[in-house]
Amino acid sequence: MTPMHFEATYGPLWEAFAAELALAKLGKSADGALLASQYRRVCEHLALAQSRAYPIHLVARLEALTQDAHQLIYRRQDYGLRQLSRLLRADLPRAVRAQGRFVLAALLLFAVPLVAAFLLAWSGPDFALRMLDASQLRDFEAMYGDGKNVLGRLREAGDDWQMFGVYIFHNVGIGFRCFGAGILAGVGSAFMLLYNGLVIGAVAGHLTRVGLGHNFWPFVATHSAFELTGIVLCGAAGLRMGLGWLAPGRLGRIEALAASARAAVPIVYAAFFLLLVAAAFEAFWSSAAWVAPNVKYGVAAVCWALVVAWLGLMGRHTGRETNHAR
Amino acid sequence: MSSHPATPAPRIDTLSPAETPEGIVLSLRPAGLVSRTMAFLLDLFIRLILDLVLVMSLGAFGGLGGLGFGLMLIGMFLIEWLYPIAFELGRSGATPGKQAVGLRVVMDTGLPVTPAASVTRNLLRVADFLPLAYAFGIVTMLLNRDCKRLGDLAAGTLVVYAQPVVLHDAPPDAPPLAPARPLSQGEQAAIRSWAGRAKRLTPERFEELAKLAAPALPAEVPGEKPRGASERLLGVAQWLMGKRT
Repeated sequence: MTPMHFEATYGPLWEAFAAELALAKLGKSADGALLASQYRRVCEHLALAQSRAYPIHLVARLEALTQDAHQLIYRRQDYGLRQLSRLLRADLPRAVRAQGRFVLAALLLFAVPLVAAFLLAWSGPDFALRMLDASQLRDFEAMYGDGKNVLGRLREAGDDWQMFGVYIFHNVGIGFRCFGAGILAGVGSAFMLLYNGLVIGAVAGHLTRVGLGHNFWPFVATHSAFELTGIVLCGAAGLRMGLGWLAPGRLGRIEALAASARAAVPIVYAAFFLLLVAAAFEAFWSSAAWVAPNVKYGVAAVCWALVVAWLGLMGRHTGRETNHAR
Repeated sequence: MSSHPATPAPRIDTLSPAETPEGIVLSLRPAGLVSRTMAFLLDLFIRLILDLVLVMSLGAFGGLGGLGFGLMLIGMFLIEWLYPIAFELGRSGATPGKQAVGLRVVMDTGLPVTPAASVTRNLLRVADFLPLAYAFGIVTMLLNRDCKRLGDLAAGTLVVYAQPVVLHDAPPDAPPLAPARPLSQGEQAAIRSWAGRAKRLTPERFEELAKLAAPALPAEVPGEKPRGASERLLGVAQWLMGKRT
Protein backbone atom coordinates (compact mmCIF):
# COMPACT_ATOMS: atom_id res chain seq x y z
CA MET A 1 0.00 0.00 0.00
CA THR A 2 1.51 3.30 -1.04
CA PRO A 3 1.33 6.28 1.32
CA MET A 4 -1.13 8.02 -1.00
CA HIS A 5 -3.43 5.04 -1.12
CA PHE A 6 -3.16 4.72 2.67
CA GLU A 7 -4.10 8.33 3.18
CA ALA A 8 -6.92 8.20 0.64
CA THR A 9 -8.38 5.07 2.25
CA TYR A 10 -8.26 6.13 5.86
CA GLY A 11 -8.21 9.92 5.60
CA PRO A 12 -12.01 10.26 6.00
CA LEU A 13 -11.86 8.17 9.17
CA TRP A 14 -9.14 10.41 10.63
CA GLU A 15 -11.08 13.52 9.78
CA ALA A 16 -14.24 12.15 11.36
CA PHE A 17 -12.23 11.17 14.41
CA ALA A 18 -10.65 14.62 14.69
CA ALA A 19 -14.07 16.26 14.45
CA GLU A 20 -15.45 13.94 17.12
CA LEU A 21 -12.45 14.72 19.34
CA ALA A 22 -12.89 18.44 18.94
CA LEU A 23 -16.52 18.07 20.01
CA ALA A 24 -15.67 15.92 23.00
CA LYS A 25 -12.94 18.38 24.02
CA LEU A 26 -15.48 21.17 24.25
CA GLY A 27 -17.36 19.06 26.74
CA LYS A 28 -20.22 18.21 24.39
CA SER A 29 -21.57 14.71 24.65
CA ALA A 30 -19.71 12.40 22.34
CA ASP A 31 -20.35 8.76 21.56
CA GLY A 32 -17.79 7.13 23.85
CA ALA A 33 -17.91 3.70 22.27
CA LEU A 34 -17.48 5.12 18.78
CA LEU A 35 -14.65 7.34 19.96
CA ALA A 36 -12.84 4.42 21.58
CA SER A 37 -13.17 2.18 18.55
CA GLN A 38 -12.01 4.95 16.23
CA TYR A 39 -9.11 5.61 18.58
CA ARG A 40 -8.02 1.98 18.37
CA ARG A 41 -8.21 2.10 14.58
CA VAL A 42 -6.10 5.24 14.44
CA CYS A 43 -3.52 3.71 16.81
CA GLU A 44 -3.33 0.76 14.46
CA HIS A 45 -2.81 3.09 11.52
CA LEU A 46 -0.08 4.94 13.38
CA ALA A 47 1.75 1.72 14.15
CA LEU A 48 1.46 0.70 10.47
CA ALA A 49 2.67 4.07 9.26
CA GLN A 50 5.63 3.97 11.63
CA SER A 51 6.71 0.46 10.72
CA ARG A 52 6.37 1.14 6.98
CA ALA A 53 8.32 4.41 7.31
CA TYR A 54 5.57 6.45 5.70
CA PRO A 55 6.23 10.17 5.11
CA ILE A 56 6.83 12.10 8.29
CA HIS A 57 3.96 14.53 7.82
CA LEU A 58 1.58 11.59 7.74
CA VAL A 59 3.06 9.96 10.84
CA ALA A 60 3.13 13.30 12.65
CA ARG A 61 -0.53 13.88 11.85
CA LEU A 62 -1.47 10.50 13.29
CA GLU A 63 0.76 11.06 16.31
CA ALA A 64 -0.89 14.39 17.08
CA LEU A 65 -4.30 12.80 16.72
CA THR A 66 -3.52 9.87 19.00
CA GLN A 67 -1.87 12.07 21.62
CA ASP A 68 -4.91 14.32 21.77
CA ALA A 69 -7.24 11.37 22.00
CA HIS A 70 -5.06 9.69 24.62
CA GLN A 71 -5.37 12.70 26.91
CA LEU A 72 -9.11 12.80 26.39
CA ILE A 73 -9.93 9.12 26.65
CA TYR A 74 -7.87 8.49 29.77
CA ARG A 75 -9.16 11.63 31.47
CA ARG A 76 -10.60 11.17 34.94
CA GLN A 77 -14.34 10.91 34.67
CA ASP A 78 -15.31 12.18 38.12
CA TYR A 79 -13.82 14.72 40.42
CA GLY A 80 -13.78 12.29 43.30
CA LEU A 81 -16.48 13.82 45.48
CA ARG A 82 -17.97 10.40 46.08
CA GLN A 83 -14.52 9.10 46.81
CA LEU A 84 -13.87 11.86 49.29
CA SER A 85 -15.93 10.30 52.05
CA ARG A 86 -14.38 6.91 51.40
CA LEU A 87 -11.00 8.60 51.54
CA LEU A 88 -11.77 10.13 54.92
CA ARG A 89 -13.44 7.06 56.37
CA ALA A 90 -11.07 4.35 55.25
CA ASP A 91 -8.23 5.20 52.90
CA LEU A 92 -6.47 7.89 54.91
CA PRO A 93 -6.35 6.09 58.28
CA ARG A 94 -5.24 2.95 56.47
CA ALA A 95 -2.48 4.82 54.66
CA VAL A 96 -1.30 6.33 57.93
CA ARG A 97 -1.26 2.94 59.65
CA ALA A 98 0.64 1.47 56.71
CA GLN A 99 3.43 3.96 57.45
CA GLY A 100 3.19 3.39 61.20
CA ARG A 101 6.94 3.24 61.71
CA PHE A 102 7.42 6.68 60.20
CA VAL A 103 4.56 8.09 62.23
CA LEU A 104 6.20 6.64 65.34
CA ALA A 105 9.58 8.09 64.38
CA ALA A 106 8.02 11.50 63.71
CA LEU A 107 6.12 11.28 67.00
CA LEU A 108 9.34 10.56 68.90
CA LEU A 109 11.22 13.32 67.07
CA PHE A 110 8.45 15.72 68.07
CA ALA A 111 7.27 14.53 71.48
CA VAL A 112 10.61 13.78 73.17
CA PRO A 113 12.02 17.30 72.71
CA LEU A 114 8.60 18.72 73.55
CA VAL A 115 8.39 16.90 76.88
CA ALA A 116 12.05 17.56 77.67
CA ALA A 117 11.73 21.27 76.86
CA PHE A 118 8.53 21.46 78.88
CA LEU A 119 10.14 19.92 81.96
CA LEU A 120 13.29 22.05 81.63
CA ALA A 121 11.35 25.29 81.15
CA TRP A 122 8.99 24.38 83.96
CA SER A 123 11.78 23.76 86.47
CA GLY A 124 13.57 27.07 85.96
CA PRO A 125 13.71 30.22 83.84
CA ASP A 126 17.07 29.44 82.20
CA PHE A 127 15.96 27.04 79.52
CA ALA A 128 13.12 29.10 78.07
CA LEU A 129 15.43 32.08 77.83
CA ARG A 130 17.97 30.00 75.97
CA MET A 131 15.35 28.84 73.46
CA LEU A 132 13.61 32.16 72.86
CA ASP A 133 14.24 35.85 73.25
CA ALA A 134 13.04 37.56 76.41
CA SER A 135 10.83 39.80 74.27
CA GLN A 136 9.18 36.79 72.61
CA LEU A 137 8.50 35.28 76.02
CA ARG A 138 6.98 38.56 77.16
CA ASP A 139 4.73 38.49 74.09
CA PHE A 140 3.55 35.01 74.98
CA GLU A 141 2.95 36.07 78.58
CA ALA A 142 0.93 39.04 77.38
CA MET A 143 -1.06 36.78 75.02
CA TYR A 144 -2.14 34.41 77.78
CA GLY A 145 -2.15 37.00 80.56
CA ASP A 146 -5.17 37.96 82.64
CA GLY A 147 -5.66 41.35 80.97
CA LYS A 148 -8.61 42.40 78.85
CA ASN A 149 -7.42 42.15 75.24
CA VAL A 150 -5.93 38.72 75.28
CA LEU A 151 -6.76 35.36 73.81
CA GLY A 152 -9.46 33.64 75.72
CA ARG A 153 -11.38 36.85 76.36
CA LEU A 154 -14.64 37.73 74.66
CA ARG A 155 -14.27 39.02 71.15
CA GLU A 156 -16.34 39.80 68.07
CA ALA A 157 -17.50 37.04 65.76
CA GLY A 158 -15.65 38.70 62.88
CA ASP A 159 -12.43 38.37 64.79
CA ASP A 160 -12.98 34.63 65.01
CA TRP A 161 -13.03 34.58 61.22
CA GLN A 162 -9.89 36.64 61.16
CA MET A 163 -8.12 34.15 63.39
CA PHE A 164 -9.46 31.25 61.30
CA GLY A 165 -7.80 32.83 58.27
CA VAL A 166 -4.58 33.41 60.17
CA TYR A 167 -4.44 29.83 61.39
CA ILE A 168 -5.14 28.34 57.97
CA PHE A 169 -2.63 30.55 56.23
CA HIS A 170 0.05 30.05 58.85
CA ASN A 171 -0.36 26.57 60.31
CA VAL A 172 -1.26 24.64 57.19
CA GLY A 173 1.57 26.40 55.40
CA ILE A 174 3.98 25.20 58.09
CA GLY A 175 2.63 21.69 57.72
CA PHE A 176 3.10 21.71 53.95
CA ARG A 177 6.64 23.01 54.32
CA CYS A 178 7.34 20.34 56.92
CA PHE A 179 6.44 17.75 54.27
CA GLY A 180 8.22 19.46 51.40
CA ALA A 181 11.45 19.74 53.36
CA GLY A 182 11.42 15.94 53.61
CA ILE A 183 12.75 15.58 50.09
CA LEU A 184 16.13 16.67 51.44
CA ALA A 185 16.74 13.11 52.63
CA GLY A 186 14.23 13.62 55.43
CA VAL A 187 16.60 15.94 57.29
CA GLY A 188 14.37 18.95 56.70
CA SER A 189 11.32 17.26 58.20
CA ALA A 190 13.30 15.93 61.16
CA PHE A 191 14.63 19.42 61.83
CA MET A 192 11.16 20.98 61.62
CA LEU A 193 9.77 18.38 64.04
CA LEU A 194 12.60 18.80 66.55
CA TYR A 195 12.52 22.57 66.37
CA ASN A 196 8.75 22.89 66.70
CA GLY A 197 8.75 20.37 69.57
CA LEU A 198 11.40 22.32 71.45
CA VAL A 199 9.71 25.69 70.98
CA ILE A 200 6.22 24.50 71.84
CA GLY A 201 7.51 22.64 74.90
CA ALA A 202 9.54 25.60 76.09
CA VAL A 203 6.62 28.02 75.73
CA ALA A 204 4.20 25.68 77.46
CA GLY A 205 6.64 25.04 80.31
CA HIS A 206 7.43 28.69 80.72
CA LEU A 207 3.78 29.78 80.81
CA THR A 208 2.96 27.06 83.31
CA ARG A 209 5.90 28.10 85.52
CA VAL A 210 4.92 31.76 85.61
CA GLY A 211 1.38 30.79 86.61
CA LEU A 212 -0.57 31.43 83.41
CA GLY A 213 -1.46 27.79 82.90
CA HIS A 214 -5.10 28.45 83.76
CA ASN A 215 -5.36 30.54 80.59
CA PHE A 216 -3.02 28.51 78.42
CA TRP A 217 -4.15 24.93 78.89
CA PRO A 218 -7.89 25.40 78.25
CA PHE A 219 -6.99 27.36 75.13
CA VAL A 220 -4.69 24.78 73.57
CA ALA A 221 -6.16 21.52 74.88
CA THR A 222 -8.81 20.98 72.19
CA HIS A 223 -7.21 22.09 68.98
CA SER A 224 -3.85 20.57 69.89
CA ALA A 225 -5.45 17.17 69.32
CA PHE A 226 -5.72 18.00 65.63
CA GLU A 227 -2.84 20.38 65.25
CA LEU A 228 -0.06 18.40 66.91
CA THR A 229 -1.23 15.23 65.17
CA GLY A 230 -1.26 17.13 61.88
CA ILE A 231 2.30 18.34 62.37
CA VAL A 232 3.50 14.87 63.30
CA LEU A 233 1.80 13.40 60.23
CA CYS A 234 3.34 16.03 57.93
CA GLY A 235 6.72 15.20 59.41
CA ALA A 236 6.08 11.49 59.01
CA ALA A 237 5.21 12.02 55.34
CA GLY A 238 8.40 14.01 54.88
CA LEU A 239 10.48 11.29 56.54
CA ARG A 240 8.82 8.65 54.37
CA MET A 241 9.77 10.55 51.25
CA GLY A 242 13.28 11.21 52.49
CA LEU A 243 13.85 7.52 53.05
CA GLY A 244 13.07 6.77 49.43
CA TRP A 245 15.86 9.12 48.50
CA LEU A 246 18.26 7.83 51.14
CA ALA A 247 17.67 4.08 50.99
CA PRO A 248 16.17 3.25 47.60
CA GLY A 249 16.48 -0.51 48.16
CA ARG A 250 16.11 -2.48 44.95
CA LEU A 251 14.64 0.41 42.96
CA GLY A 252 16.44 3.14 41.09
CA ARG A 253 16.80 6.27 43.18
CA ILE A 254 14.30 8.27 41.15
CA GLU A 255 11.79 5.42 41.09
CA ALA A 256 12.21 4.95 44.83
CA LEU A 257 11.60 8.64 45.38
CA ALA A 258 8.44 8.52 43.26
CA ALA A 259 7.21 5.41 45.05
CA SER A 260 7.80 6.86 48.50
CA ALA A 261 6.13 10.13 47.49
CA ARG A 262 3.08 8.12 46.42
CA ALA A 263 3.03 6.45 49.82
CA ALA A 264 3.49 9.77 51.61
CA VAL A 265 0.79 11.81 49.86
CA PRO A 266 -2.23 10.20 51.59
CA ILE A 267 -0.60 11.08 54.92
CA VAL A 268 -0.35 14.69 53.76
CA TYR A 269 -4.07 14.61 52.90
CA ALA A 270 -4.80 13.35 56.41
CA ALA A 271 -2.58 16.04 57.92
CA PHE A 272 -4.23 18.74 55.82
CA PHE A 273 -7.65 17.63 56.99
CA LEU A 274 -6.52 17.62 60.63
CA LEU A 275 -4.92 21.05 60.34
CA LEU A 276 -8.09 22.49 58.82
CA VAL A 277 -10.16 21.11 61.70
CA ALA A 278 -7.54 22.45 64.11
CA ALA A 279 -7.78 25.93 62.59
CA ALA A 280 -11.56 25.89 62.94
CA PHE A 281 -11.41 24.76 66.58
CA GLU A 282 -8.65 27.21 67.40
CA ALA A 283 -10.57 30.13 65.94
CA PHE A 284 -14.12 29.41 67.09
CA TRP A 285 -13.87 27.18 70.16
CA SER A 286 -10.56 27.56 71.91
CA SER A 287 -11.01 31.30 72.22
CA ALA A 288 -14.53 31.10 73.61
CA ALA A 289 -14.03 32.51 77.09
CA TRP A 290 -17.55 31.78 78.30
CA VAL A 291 -16.89 28.04 78.27
CA ALA A 292 -15.68 26.74 81.62
CA PRO A 293 -12.18 25.22 81.52
CA ASN A 294 -13.50 21.89 82.73
CA VAL A 295 -15.89 21.68 79.78
CA LYS A 296 -13.00 22.46 77.46
CA TYR A 297 -10.91 19.72 79.01
CA GLY A 298 -13.79 17.33 78.55
CA VAL A 299 -14.21 18.25 74.89
CA ALA A 300 -10.44 18.03 74.45
CA ALA A 301 -10.42 14.49 75.83
CA VAL A 302 -13.19 13.52 73.41
CA CYS A 303 -11.29 15.12 70.51
CA TRP A 304 -8.04 13.35 71.34
CA ALA A 305 -9.95 10.08 71.55
CA LEU A 306 -11.63 10.80 68.21
CA VAL A 307 -8.33 11.52 66.48
CA VAL A 308 -6.68 8.41 67.87
CA ALA A 309 -9.72 6.33 66.98
CA TRP A 310 -9.83 7.76 63.48
CA LEU A 311 -6.21 6.99 62.77
CA GLY A 312 -6.08 3.76 64.72
CA LEU A 313 -9.36 2.03 64.05
CA MET A 314 -11.21 3.33 61.02
CA GLY A 315 -10.91 1.50 57.74
CA ARG A 316 -9.91 -1.79 59.30
CA HIS A 317 -13.22 -3.47 58.60
CA THR A 318 -13.66 -2.28 55.03
CA GLY A 319 -10.05 -3.24 54.43
CA ARG A 320 -10.86 -6.85 55.11
CA GLU A 321 -13.90 -6.66 52.85
CA THR A 322 -11.99 -5.38 49.85
CA ASN A 323 -9.33 -8.00 50.45
CA HIS A 324 -11.98 -10.69 50.21
CA ALA A 325 -13.40 -9.09 47.11
CA ARG A 326 -10.07 -9.27 45.38
CA MET B 1 9.73 8.83 13.86
CA SER B 2 12.66 7.27 12.05
CA SER B 3 13.80 4.61 14.52
CA HIS B 4 11.59 1.69 15.33
CA PRO B 5 10.52 1.72 18.98
CA ALA B 6 11.57 -1.91 19.45
CA THR B 7 15.24 -1.14 18.82
CA PRO B 8 16.49 1.18 21.53
CA ALA B 9 19.10 3.47 20.04
CA PRO B 10 20.81 6.30 21.90
CA ARG B 11 18.47 9.24 21.56
CA ILE B 12 19.89 12.43 20.20
CA ASP B 13 16.72 14.46 20.72
CA THR B 14 14.95 15.34 23.95
CA LEU B 15 11.78 13.40 23.17
CA SER B 16 10.53 11.24 25.98
CA PRO B 17 8.81 8.15 24.57
CA ALA B 18 5.86 6.69 26.46
CA GLU B 19 4.22 3.46 25.39
CA THR B 20 0.45 3.28 25.68
CA PRO B 21 -1.77 0.26 26.31
CA GLU B 22 -2.71 0.40 22.61
CA GLY B 23 0.87 -0.52 21.75
CA ILE B 24 1.84 2.80 20.23
CA VAL B 25 4.57 5.13 21.40
CA LEU B 26 3.71 8.71 22.23
CA SER B 27 6.64 11.08 21.82
CA LEU B 28 6.30 13.56 24.65
CA ARG B 29 8.28 16.72 24.21
CA PRO B 30 9.53 17.94 27.63
CA ALA B 31 9.54 21.69 28.03
CA GLY B 32 12.83 23.35 28.83
CA LEU B 33 13.91 25.79 31.47
CA VAL B 34 13.13 28.95 29.51
CA SER B 35 9.54 28.19 28.57
CA ARG B 36 8.82 26.88 32.04
CA THR B 37 10.25 30.02 33.60
CA MET B 38 8.09 32.12 31.29
CA ALA B 39 5.03 30.16 32.34
CA PHE B 40 6.00 30.51 35.99
CA LEU B 41 6.43 34.26 35.71
CA LEU B 42 3.05 34.60 33.99
CA ASP B 43 1.43 32.56 36.74
CA LEU B 44 3.20 34.62 39.38
CA PHE B 45 1.83 37.76 37.76
CA ILE B 46 -1.71 36.33 37.66
CA ARG B 47 -1.45 35.23 41.28
CA LEU B 48 -0.28 38.67 42.34
CA ILE B 49 -3.20 40.27 40.51
CA LEU B 50 -5.62 37.85 42.20
CA ASP B 51 -4.08 38.63 45.58
CA LEU B 52 -4.34 42.33 44.87
CA VAL B 53 -8.00 42.03 43.82
CA LEU B 54 -8.67 40.05 46.98
CA VAL B 55 -6.99 42.60 49.20
CA MET B 56 -8.71 45.54 47.50
CA SER B 57 -12.19 44.04 47.43
CA LEU B 58 -12.14 42.69 50.98
CA GLY B 59 -10.17 45.62 52.29
CA ALA B 60 -12.82 47.93 50.86
CA PHE B 61 -15.39 46.39 53.19
CA GLY B 62 -13.95 48.05 56.22
CA GLY B 63 -17.12 47.24 58.10
CA LEU B 64 -16.46 43.53 57.83
CA GLY B 65 -13.43 43.97 60.05
CA GLY B 66 -12.04 40.66 61.16
CA LEU B 67 -14.31 38.67 58.84
CA GLY B 68 -12.93 40.45 55.77
CA PHE B 69 -9.37 39.97 56.95
CA GLY B 70 -9.97 36.31 57.70
CA LEU B 71 -11.54 35.67 54.30
CA MET B 72 -8.64 37.50 52.71
CA LEU B 73 -6.09 35.24 54.39
CA ILE B 74 -8.07 32.13 53.47
CA GLY B 75 -8.24 33.37 49.90
CA MET B 76 -4.50 34.00 49.84
CA PHE B 77 -3.91 30.53 51.23
CA LEU B 78 -6.02 29.04 48.45
CA ILE B 79 -4.22 31.10 45.81
CA GLU B 80 -0.80 30.19 47.12
CA TRP B 81 -1.30 26.44 47.46
CA LEU B 82 -4.32 25.39 45.40
CA TYR B 83 -4.04 27.61 42.31
CA PRO B 84 -1.71 25.28 40.38
CA ILE B 85 -3.39 22.10 41.61
CA ALA B 86 -6.87 23.23 40.64
CA PHE B 87 -5.81 24.25 37.15
CA GLU B 88 -3.64 21.20 36.50
CA LEU B 89 -6.55 18.91 37.35
CA GLY B 90 -8.80 20.86 35.02
CA ARG B 91 -9.58 20.14 31.41
CA SER B 92 -6.41 21.57 29.91
CA GLY B 93 -4.01 20.13 32.47
CA ALA B 94 -2.18 23.43 32.77
CA THR B 95 -2.21 26.67 34.73
CA PRO B 96 -3.11 29.77 32.68
CA GLY B 97 0.58 30.66 32.44
CA LYS B 98 1.50 27.22 31.13
CA GLN B 99 -1.43 27.32 28.74
CA ALA B 100 -0.28 30.64 27.35
CA VAL B 101 3.20 29.27 26.70
CA GLY B 102 1.68 26.08 25.25
CA LEU B 103 2.67 23.67 28.01
CA ARG B 104 0.79 20.94 29.80
CA VAL B 105 1.45 18.70 32.79
CA VAL B 106 1.15 14.96 32.15
CA MET B 107 2.26 11.79 33.91
CA ASP B 108 5.42 10.03 32.71
CA THR B 109 3.10 7.62 30.92
CA GLY B 110 1.49 10.40 28.90
CA LEU B 111 -1.72 10.12 30.89
CA PRO B 112 -3.43 13.19 32.34
CA VAL B 113 -1.97 14.15 35.69
CA THR B 114 -3.61 12.49 38.74
CA PRO B 115 -4.70 14.44 41.83
CA ALA B 116 -2.06 12.81 44.04
CA ALA B 117 0.71 13.62 41.57
CA SER B 118 -0.46 17.19 41.17
CA VAL B 119 -0.53 17.67 44.94
CA THR B 120 2.92 16.14 45.30
CA ARG B 121 4.57 18.20 42.62
CA ASN B 122 3.05 21.43 43.86
CA LEU B 123 3.72 20.94 47.56
CA LEU B 124 7.31 20.06 46.72
CA ARG B 125 7.76 23.52 45.27
CA VAL B 126 8.92 24.26 48.82
CA ALA B 127 11.99 22.07 48.29
CA ASP B 128 12.57 23.28 44.74
CA PHE B 129 12.57 26.84 45.97
CA LEU B 130 15.48 26.25 48.37
CA PRO B 131 17.94 27.76 49.10
CA LEU B 132 16.45 30.69 47.21
CA ALA B 133 14.74 31.57 43.91
CA TYR B 134 14.14 27.95 42.85
CA ALA B 135 17.87 27.16 42.80
CA PHE B 136 17.42 23.44 43.57
CA GLY B 137 14.63 23.17 41.03
CA ILE B 138 16.69 24.82 38.29
CA VAL B 139 19.77 22.70 38.95
CA THR B 140 17.70 19.50 38.92
CA MET B 141 15.99 20.57 35.70
CA LEU B 142 19.34 21.11 34.02
CA LEU B 143 20.74 17.80 35.27
CA ASN B 144 18.14 15.41 33.89
CA ARG B 145 17.18 15.00 30.29
CA ASP B 146 13.45 15.23 30.86
CA CYS B 147 13.89 18.63 32.49
CA LYS B 148 12.12 17.66 35.69
CA ARG B 149 12.36 19.54 38.93
CA LEU B 150 12.38 17.74 42.29
CA GLY B 151 8.60 17.85 42.50
CA ASP B 152 8.29 16.27 39.05
CA LEU B 153 10.77 13.55 39.96
CA ALA B 154 8.85 12.64 43.09
CA ALA B 155 5.41 12.85 41.50
CA GLY B 156 6.40 11.14 38.24
CA THR B 157 5.11 13.99 36.11
CA LEU B 158 6.39 15.76 33.02
CA VAL B 159 5.81 19.25 31.72
CA VAL B 160 5.44 18.89 27.96
CA TYR B 161 4.55 21.01 24.97
CA ALA B 162 0.88 20.52 24.25
CA GLN B 163 1.15 21.00 20.47
CA PRO B 164 3.49 19.02 18.22
CA VAL B 165 6.01 20.89 16.08
CA VAL B 166 5.37 20.65 12.37
CA LEU B 167 8.62 20.42 10.40
CA HIS B 168 7.33 18.36 7.48
CA ASP B 169 4.57 19.05 5.01
CA ALA B 170 3.22 16.92 2.24
CA PRO B 171 5.75 16.77 -0.64
CA PRO B 172 5.09 19.49 -3.24
CA ASP B 173 3.40 18.39 -6.43
CA ALA B 174 5.58 17.19 -9.31
CA PRO B 175 5.18 14.83 -12.30
CA PRO B 176 6.02 11.33 -11.00
CA LEU B 177 9.31 9.76 -12.03
CA ALA B 178 10.31 6.15 -11.44
CA PRO B 179 13.66 5.73 -9.65
CA ALA B 180 16.60 4.24 -11.54
CA ARG B 181 16.74 1.19 -9.30
CA PRO B 182 14.65 -0.38 -6.54
CA LEU B 183 15.12 1.60 -3.31
CA SER B 184 15.38 0.17 0.19
CA GLN B 185 12.83 1.27 2.78
CA GLY B 186 15.41 3.53 4.43
CA GLU B 187 16.22 5.22 1.16
CA GLN B 188 12.56 5.70 0.39
CA ALA B 189 11.97 7.24 3.80
CA ALA B 190 14.96 9.56 3.35
CA ILE B 191 13.73 10.82 -0.01
CA ARG B 192 10.20 11.32 1.26
CA SER B 193 11.31 13.25 4.33
CA TRP B 194 13.62 15.35 2.16
CA ALA B 195 10.65 16.22 -0.04
CA GLY B 196 8.58 17.07 3.02
CA ARG B 197 11.01 19.85 3.93
CA ALA B 198 10.73 21.65 0.59
CA LYS B 199 9.14 24.70 2.19
CA ARG B 200 11.60 24.96 5.05
CA LEU B 201 14.95 24.64 3.28
CA THR B 202 16.54 27.22 1.01
CA PRO B 203 16.41 26.17 -2.66
CA GLU B 204 20.24 25.89 -2.76
CA ARG B 205 20.39 23.56 0.23
CA PHE B 206 17.43 21.64 -1.14
CA GLU B 207 19.24 21.13 -4.45
CA GLU B 208 22.49 20.21 -2.70
CA LEU B 209 20.74 17.50 -0.69
CA ALA B 210 19.01 16.23 -3.84
CA LYS B 211 22.39 15.75 -5.54
CA LEU B 212 23.36 13.25 -2.85
CA ALA B 213 20.61 11.03 -4.20
CA ALA B 214 21.96 11.20 -7.76
CA PRO B 215 22.59 7.41 -8.06
CA ALA B 216 18.88 6.78 -7.53
CA LEU B 217 17.80 9.35 -10.08
CA PRO B 218 16.74 8.06 -13.47
CA ALA B 219 18.83 9.13 -16.46
CA GLU B 220 17.61 12.23 -18.23
CA VAL B 221 15.53 11.59 -21.31
CA PRO B 222 17.34 13.09 -24.34
CA GLY B 223 15.32 15.76 -26.13
CA GLU B 224 13.40 16.79 -23.01
CA LYS B 225 14.05 20.09 -21.23
CA PRO B 226 16.84 19.39 -18.68
CA ARG B 227 15.58 19.46 -15.12
CA GLY B 228 17.51 20.06 -11.88
CA ALA B 229 18.28 17.29 -9.42
CA SER B 230 15.74 18.53 -6.90
CA GLU B 231 12.97 18.70 -9.47
CA ARG B 232 13.62 15.17 -10.62
CA LEU B 233 13.99 13.88 -7.04
CA LEU B 234 10.64 15.45 -6.19
CA GLY B 235 9.23 13.40 -9.04
CA VAL B 236 10.75 10.29 -7.50
CA ALA B 237 9.29 11.27 -4.15
CA GLN B 238 5.84 11.56 -5.73
CA TRP B 239 6.34 8.20 -7.38
CA LEU B 240 7.25 6.72 -4.00
CA MET B 241 4.16 8.32 -2.50
CA GLY B 242 2.17 6.29 -4.95
CA LYS B 243 1.50 8.76 -7.74
CA ARG B 244 1.87 6.99 -11.08
CA THR B 245 0.49 9.32 -13.76
